[in-house]
Amino acid sequence: MIGIGAAIGLVYGWFINPVEYVNTAPNSLRKDYKADYILMVAEAYKVEQNLDIAIRRLALLGEEAPIDMVSQAMATAVEYQYDPTDLVLMQTLADGLRTWYPGSPEVP
Amino acid sequence: MRNRDADDRGSWYLLTGLVIGVILGIVYAWVLWPIEYINTAPASLRPDFKAQYRALAASAYLASGNLERAKTRLEVLKDGDMTLQVSGQAAAWMDGTHPESEVRGLNLLAAALQQGPLPTLLQAIQTTPSPTSTQTGLSSTPVIILTSSIDFTATPTPTATRETPTVQPKISLTPAPTITPLPTRTPTPTPGGAFVLQKQEFICNPNLTLPYLQIEVMDAGGAPVPGVEIIVLWDGGEDHFFTGLKPDLGLGYADFVMSQGVTYNLRLAEGGTPVSGITATECEAPGAGRIWGSWYLSFSQP
Repeated sequence: MIGIGAAIGLVYGWFINPVEYVNTAPNSLRKDYKADYILMVAEAYKVEQNLDIAIRRLALLGEEAPIDMVSQAMATAVEYQYDPTDLVLMQTLADGLRTWYPGSPEVP
Repeated sequence: MRNRDADDRGSWYLLTGLVIGVILGIVYAWVLWPIEYINTAPASLRPDFKAQYRALAASAYLASGNLERAKTRLEVLKDGDMTLQVSGQAAAWMDGTHPESEVRGLNLLAAALQQGPLPTLLQAIQTTPSPTSTQTGLSSTPVIILTSSIDFTATPTPTATRETPTVQPKISLTPAPTITPLPTRTPTPTPGGAFVLQKQEFICNPNLTLPYLQIEVMDAGGAPVPGVEIIVLWDGGEDHFFTGLKPDLGLGYADFVMSQGVTYNLRLAEGGTPVSGITATECEAPGAGRIWGSWYLSFSQP
């Protein structure tokens, strides 16, 4: 009987009324969404040239070092065959992050 | 009698066990091994994170000019009418607590979602990082002036390039502001020719509580033109702003709040008729008494 009850519970929980995640944080995003998020940061950085803003945006993805986040995103971008120009944008952001330290002047 | 007491105790034992079990389960689920959300989609983000995501998508749109990509990014948020969401957020974020670039991006993305891609607007925005919006204008912050052409395409990855910006110190300490043509690297052709002042009208509208400088820019066919840079100069300062940032008032519309006792000169960055000697003036409105009047300037291409 316990087995039948558990099976009913699983069918209900997985198919009839599956869990819906709400109010999650960006650090829980799937890696391809994270990669696109970081691509957005890189696209904006291309125009804004403001590493402080870029880092503030990256901070939403977690406590990891920004440069590591971008490196992982680039690996995902390669895996998902992003356009080479997108990779260049991400690389540009990574290059900027390597030279950044808090309070440093913006890299032109 | 003894059996009934034993039955009662048994029920209490069961209930106590159940309560203890629930407590243990909650402690286990909340403290020892809480749920970790992984591999989630943007649609599940908390509303404030969704707003950040939307603003970032708008900033990326400003950079790339790729509306389709921006739409795809907004679609994954799955929050209904994306145009409504973006324009609503743009309006809500104009409270001065959010970065101006993000507010501008949201406004422009909202306009683009309503009207289609706005290459002229994007070009103007992209080539003028962080336009000053203060009325002091006395800082020595360099102003980057660019007029390079950018080719926006609908390809997934834009290949837009721009020339190296020319950094020119802002000089605005002269007693009387003069309109000095800005140096340009390459001429920016304006289809239809330079904008010509068609109408200059003083408005005494009791609904306008502040003295506005209202500008409307239209092309030769009478269609509103977004993204036209407007330069306002006054004694000791200047401001740059763009048409189309208030799409609800028209894509060719822009306004500026004048200060009392200041005389303003205005021109469009793309050339055309300069307007000088504009001041905030009071007027007598029927039923409202003495109020600040506004100036309405209409420009169009011949």
